[in-house]
Amino acid sequence: MASVSVIASKEFSDIIRSKRFIILLSIFALLMIAAVASTYISATQGIAAPTAMPRGFLLSVASNLTSMMAYFAPILGIVLGVDAVSGEREKGTLKMVLAQPVFRDTFINGKFLGTVAAISLAVCIAFLVNVGGSIIALGITPTGDDAARLFLFLIISIIYAVAYYGIAILISTVSKKTTVSVIASIMIWAVFTFILPIIATMVVFSITPIRIQPGQNMTITPELREEIRRRITITETVNMFTPNYHFNRAANNILRAYIGAGFMPEGGATSGRPLQQAIRAVSIIESLAMVWPNILVIALIAVFTLIATYMLFVRQETR
Amino acid sequence: MNYIIETKNLTKIYRSEGKIVKALDNVNLTVERGRIFGLLGPNGAGKTTLMMTLIGLVMPTSGSARVLGFDIIKNSVEIRKRVGVLPEGADFYDHLTAKQNLLYIAALNGINKAEREERVEKVLKIVGLEDAKDRKVGGFSRGMKQRLGIAQALLKDPELLMFDEPTAGLDPEAARTFKNLVLKLRDEGKTIVLSTHLLFEVGPLCDDIAIINRGRIVLHGGVKDLAEKFIAEEGYKIRVQGKGDIGRFANAILNLKDVRNVRVDREYILIEASKDVRAEVSRLASAHGVEIVALELTVPSIEDLFMKYYKWG
Repeated sequence: MASVSVIASKEFSDIIRSKRFIILLSIFALLMIAAVASTYISATQGIAAPTAMPRGFLLSVASNLTSMMAYFAPILGIVLGVDAVSGEREKGTLKMVLAQPVFRDTFINGKFLGTVAAISLAVCIAFLVNVGGSIIALGITPTGDDAARLFLFLIISIIYAVAYYGIAILISTVSKKTTVSVIASIMIWAVFTFILPIIATMVVFSITPIRIQPGQNMTITPELREEIRRRITITETVNMFTPNYHFNRAANNILRAYIGAGFMPEGGATSGRPLQQAIRAVSIIESLAMVWPNILVIALIAVFTLIATYMLFVRQETR
Repeated sequence: MNYIIETKNLTKIYRSEGKIVKALDNVNLTVERGRIFGLLGPNGAGKTTLMMTLIGLVMPTSGSARVLGFDIIKNSVEIRKRVGVLPEGADFYDHLTAKQNLLYIAALNGINKAEREERVEKVLKIVGLEDAKDRKVGGFSRGMKQRLGIAQALLKDPELLMFDEPTAGLDPEAARTFKNLVLKLRDEGKTIVLSTHLLFEVGPLCDDIAIINRGRIVLHGGVKDLAEKFIAEEGYKIRVQGKGDIGRFANAILNLKDVRNVRVDREYILIEASKDVRAEVSRLASAHGVEIVALELTVPSIEDLFMKYYKWG
């Protein structure tokens, strides 16, 4: 066990001192600050939410926080995992370490622990920059419920980053060369982030083409409501294959203390009639009950990829 | 006899891209304690696979081996605790200094914190890197990295040391220092296994050798015994240096019963014979009024042994 901690602490120390980690964290910290500025502008200029939710800290920060973390966590995981094994193998450092009295599983477990600690630190920093900045900018103190939801969001974000780290280190373990590992990891991220959502949209358009003509008043009829529901179902079914979908769903719901919907009134948005609304508060337990399958999927991706990496790595030989 | 390394029919077969490669083919080998053992062979002969198998980093397909009495499959970590290894192609972390790299390796070996610093300083001094200890390894030359590799192998003060291609990348001065170090370590009672294709570099250091080719041991034994075997098969080579009528003296030697060939090269006479004829040559010199300056039996070199037996592989 002593060696696991030795390897983990070296890995953690290497990562947090590495240029790529510092650069990545700096870029995202700046983006988080930009997001805080955008939140501040929205709040001070009174830009209304699409539905008349009760205004509070979470409603103000949730959108920016989720969208920033949706990019930051996967990139962080990939950057830290992409050469974790192949890089050491190519360089010859793996051989040097394994020539010492170290079991292969000790090495890979140490790597996992050190990197997960570094990921947690990075996500916490990015999170604190955004949330802390928002508290200062908005002058709103989060409630106890807000804090609990933010904490859950933080945990989900860490698991999400670890899931991508798991994918990247698995590819790195099977790849003979780091360049192959880099290309494959980026491709997988691009497929999950951009290509599958586009495919989902294309599938939706091919199955249920839009029947509303430009300039036509959008009247909520039962048929249209059914069509919208079908479109959402198809999009979600396709996107369900990506960890991104599960993260976004889990994060959005966890950070939402109120749920509700605003419907177009009869005669459409230009009819002059008020938005039809049905809003209610949801407890954190209710939110969790809604999204636990999504959290489970992200956690399972993380666990399965790390287990697969472990199994593959311990079976490999050092030539 | 209690051997420090003993292998029995050790075989390793790699399957890669549909091809089957027998990297080790029924290797039977013994290494005695307190000796310098040379594992010699060309590139791709199986030397590295054998070394990696002996420390448990490569699993044999069949056969068995014991190192320091430990089974290579069941107790590989125990072996690596006690054996200092410099694997071929192994490298250090470029972003760490020489000292930081060694401290990390010391920690992996379970050397307690209080002792680490002292041991690291000691081995850095042994390999002559004490002035470069705080420099990042990324800026080291290949030779410096090789010396650092030797230093890490010495860190745990092991009973057995295994160096794979240890002089590769070393300049002549560093290679000489390395050779002296190996002899010193042997004199301290340590066993050293040197794997190399550079026969002229480390071959002459060896007490025992094994020549490996295509995964098979083609020759194995003590250098002295092998030299005698070589002489018995190839004949004796005797070099004579004398003053006097060398031409007549050479003709007289050629008429000796066991002499096969005589060649005169300026003041030297080179004799090839089926037995040691130095006594007869000495007598002939007196009879022909030749003053003997030197009369010596030429001992076959490691290169001679390698060239003779390697072709059999």
